[in-house]
Amino acid sequence: MGEIPSKSFLTGGICTNIPYLLHRMKKMLISWIGGLLCCLQCLAQELPQLTFAPQWLPQAQFAGYYVAQKKGFYKAEGLNVRIVHPSASVNSVEYLKNEQCDITTQILTSAFAFREAGIDLVNIAQISQNSALLFVSRKEKGISELSDLNEKKIGIWLSGFDEVAREIIKSNNYQVQWVPVLNTVNLFLSGYLDAMTVMWYNEYDQIIQSGVNEEELNRIFFSDCGFNIPEDGLYCLDKTLIQRRGDLEKFVRASLKGWEYAKENKEETLGIVLEEMKKNHVPTNKAHQAWMLDKALLMIDPGSKNVKKGELAESDFVKAQNMLFEAGNIKTRTAFKEFYKPVMK
Amino acid sequence: MKLQFNINKSLSLRIAVYVLSFCMLLFLLVLLVFFFFSRKQIEEMTLKNAQIITNKSAMDVERTILPIIHVAQNYKWMLENKQQSSEELYEMTRRVVENNPDVIGSAIAFEPNFFDKEGLYFSPYSHRENDSIKSMQLGNASYNYFYMDWYQIPVATGKSSWCEPYHDTGGGNVLMTTYSTPFYKTVNNEKKIAGVITFDLSLNKFTDSVSSLKILETGYATVLSANGTFVTHPKEELIMNQTIFSYAAELNNSELREIGRKIQKENSGYVSSTLNGVERMLYFKKLSSSNWSIAVIFPKSEMYLPLHRISIILIVLVCIGLLLLTVIVSKIISRQIIPLRHFASSAREIAKGNFSNQLPVIKREDELKDLHDSFEYMQRKLTLYIEDLKQTAIAKEKIESELRIAREIQMGMIPKIFPPFPNLVEIDLYATLQPAKEVGGDLYDFFMLDDNHICFAIGDVSGKGVPASLFMAVTRTLLRSVAHDQMTPRNIVNSLNKSLSTNNDSNMFVTFFLGIIELDSGIMTYTNAGHNPPVLIHPNGEVIVFDMTKDIPVGIFDTFDYSEKTLQLLENDKLFLYTDGVTEAENKKEEFYSEKRLITTLCNHYRLTPKELIGIVSEDVAQHVNKNEQSDDITMFSIVYYGNKR
Repeated sequence: MGEIPSKSFLTGGICTNIPYLLHRMKKMLISWIGGLLCCLQCLAQELPQLTFAPQWLPQAQFAGYYVAQKKGFYKAEGLNVRIVHPSASVNSVEYLKNEQCDITTQILTSAFAFREAGIDLVNIAQISQNSALLFVSRKEKGISELSDLNEKKIGIWLSGFDEVAREIIKSNNYQVQWVPVLNTVNLFLSGYLDAMTVMWYNEYDQIIQSGVNEEELNRIFFSDCGFNIPEDGLYCLDKTLIQRRGDLEKFVRASLKGWEYAKENKEETLGIVLEEMKKNHVPTNKAHQAWMLDKALLMIDPGSKNVKKGELAESDFVKAQNMLFEAGNIKTRTAFKEFYKPVMK
Repeated sequence: MKLQFNINKSLSLRIAVYVLSFCMLLFLLVLLVFFFFSRKQIEEMTLKNAQIITNKSAMDVERTILPIIHVAQNYKWMLENKQQSSEELYEMTRRVVENNPDVIGSAIAFEPNFFDKEGLYFSPYSHRENDSIKSMQLGNASYNYFYMDWYQIPVATGKSSWCEPYHDTGGGNVLMTTYSTPFYKTVNNEKKIAGVITFDLSLNKFTDSVSSLKILETGYATVLSANGTFVTHPKEELIMNQTIFSYAAELNNSELREIGRKIQKENSGYVSSTLNGVERMLYFKKLSSSNWSIAVIFPKSEMYLPLHRISIILIVLVCIGLLLLTVIVSKIISRQIIPLRHFASSAREIAKGNFSNQLPVIKREDELKDLHDSFEYMQRKLTLYIEDLKQTAIAKEKIESELRIAREIQMGMIPKIFPPFPNLVEIDLYATLQPAKEVGGDLYDFFMLDDNHICFAIGDVSGKGVPASLFMAVTRTLLRSVAHDQMTPRNIVNSLNKSLSTNNDSNMFVTFFLGIIELDSGIMTYTNAGHNPPVLIHPNGEVIVFDMTKDIPVGIFDTFDYSEKTLQLLENDKLFLYTDGVTEAENKKEEFYSEKRLITTLCNHYRLTPKELIGIVSEDVAQHVNKNEQSDDITMFSIVYYGNKR
């Protein structure tokens, strides 16, 4: 799951969450007041304002947007962009629904689920072109290729993002024991699991950072199994697209520029990300963020795909929709043009 | 005594410097040995100390943890062997929190639907809140504990576990961990997993105790969780945010990563590594009740800091000591050698001739006493010697004086007034005698036999000095006495020979040339008794050396009959007679003046008068000899015949 910011948030005792959420809400209130003040300032400057909410707390997964903000790319486009972050209890699509933000990021398969739930989401740009998902296992478990997963215990997220993994196993007619895990890699580290579904830019590095060397691990990337389904894209409500298409186009253009700048200036970008994390009181781990930035940038590159940066390939859309439909995750199909409405010309 | 700082001028300072140099060398050697062994000792002691501190800290933790583990085991036994009501379960959790101050909360969490009456989630839970203990049922849809690490891992693995540390943000940022152990129930004769007993422990006491550990100056202790997460560290930003592995990645330090892995795998050990540019030592120990580790880290250089301080103090003290030693040694030696200075001034006085100069008084029986005695002996001997010398000098002076007189007498015997016969127009003559010593063995003489005959002679007595001069005096006296009776050279020389040979006990002889010139005719008769052949110089520059004589020197055989020869002198013919002191005059290279050079000189100056000629030859010989000591008498005689002027 690509949304986990730090170990301290990952690990949880029994008596942690309720007071913690209250604490978060207090922080959020402060940030909202700050946002309001900022809003007033923007009005004074008479620049059109856009509120952007990434799908999780600040981390290098969203580096391009922080860079665009920090380096003034949004301002240069004539936009006043405010970045807000969701919490553990309220996701960014809720913000979108409640008009607390104008744009959010989501992974492609989740976007289908939200549309199925009745939220009128449209994809205005596909930022990540590749799948960062993989099965990881310790070499001693002897899982070097996909078929070795048959009849094995595989860890998978309890809270979603499991569709592609399940489809890969199902399409190969393997019998596996899925072991739901919440959000840590500790069950994997305990040796109980034979393999685990992880994000390359996040949990995989957490395993490395817990003392397991890369050469002690086997990796089976979903992209190598014919499931290179893209992930993070930019979404807004259809009505917002109708009303503010010009502003959205500016936002996407400046964001892509931000990602381009991040690619060329990794060290500076890392500094910007860490600053954003500190500003939001998120614990920082520089090495992990550096790893995440590297991998996020790799995900953006279309590679051999017949699309430009920021575009959604129709074949990827069809593959993802068919997969979800056949798995029963969605009941209705959507036309590509209804789902993908690019703002960039 | 004034200390002289010029090392070459002061024996005491020089000895002091030698002693100092040796002491310094010795000290350096001792310091090096001390330093080497102390370093080793300190290293061992520091590591031992680090080990003791770490082990004690680990033991403190174990002391807290082990009773809790025992309680967990007791509860496990109770739960597995007795049936409890839900109230009893709540009471059990409450009691453990009540009785164990280190326990913040405790739960007995059951498997889904295990307690039919309670539904899917049933987890009685008691925890401290302010000063009271509150109980509640923990599980619900938004807190699905079945997938929490503290529940899922012990259930899945069947083993007790310590979960990774976490912040209880609600309870005032308390750092916590949870100990979980699974328990089982037998249902339908089948042992089934029933749930998990948990104890939440505050880590603050533990982390405070570890954080307060100080090793050397900047050494510190840290606690790492099973995954390598920093539970305590002096850098607060690392705590709970980083693992030792992420920190290693941030520092790009692969060695640190390997250390982390070693800590995870081994129970205890030492590691040496460079971290943040400083070489550090690390000792770690794993807690026996969990996979957590305590490590102490300290800069290697700090281990040796006390040693360095002691060494510096030692060096300063020894330097001061050595300096004092130098001064004291210098002073002592100076005092000891004071008599030497007195001896030196005494020696100078003695050199001036003051032999009775008072020597320094030496009361000791050491080398200086020997020196004193030697000086005293030298003084005595010198006095005696100088006295002898004085006597000898007086004697010598007397002899020299007598010799001087003898010379005067000798020189008085040969004619020295030139021209000797101013009224005699037919001839002119000149002669010199230069003895090698005070008195010589050469002789010359000339005198008129009658108005028409002049007799002249030149001779060289064998040997030198006083005996030769006496023999020469006898020869000359005899010559005068016999010449007036005999008118031919042959007769004169024969008479002379006879007289000299008689009673010649000393076997001395004389080479002798005697000539008589008849002034009106220019006829010269002569006898050459073994003397160097004279040279005849014609006015045209022709130079003729007389033939070698066959006659023996005078004074050898009294019966020997000498021959006589006649030569007609022409107008302005000149004769040059000499002794072998001329041709055998030696320079420093032991080269003779030689007859050849003499003839050449005579040829070059054939026109000169006898006096001028002898002057020129004398100069030439002096030039050849070049101040070399004269070894033989030098005698020259020249006579010119101007022809019959009557």
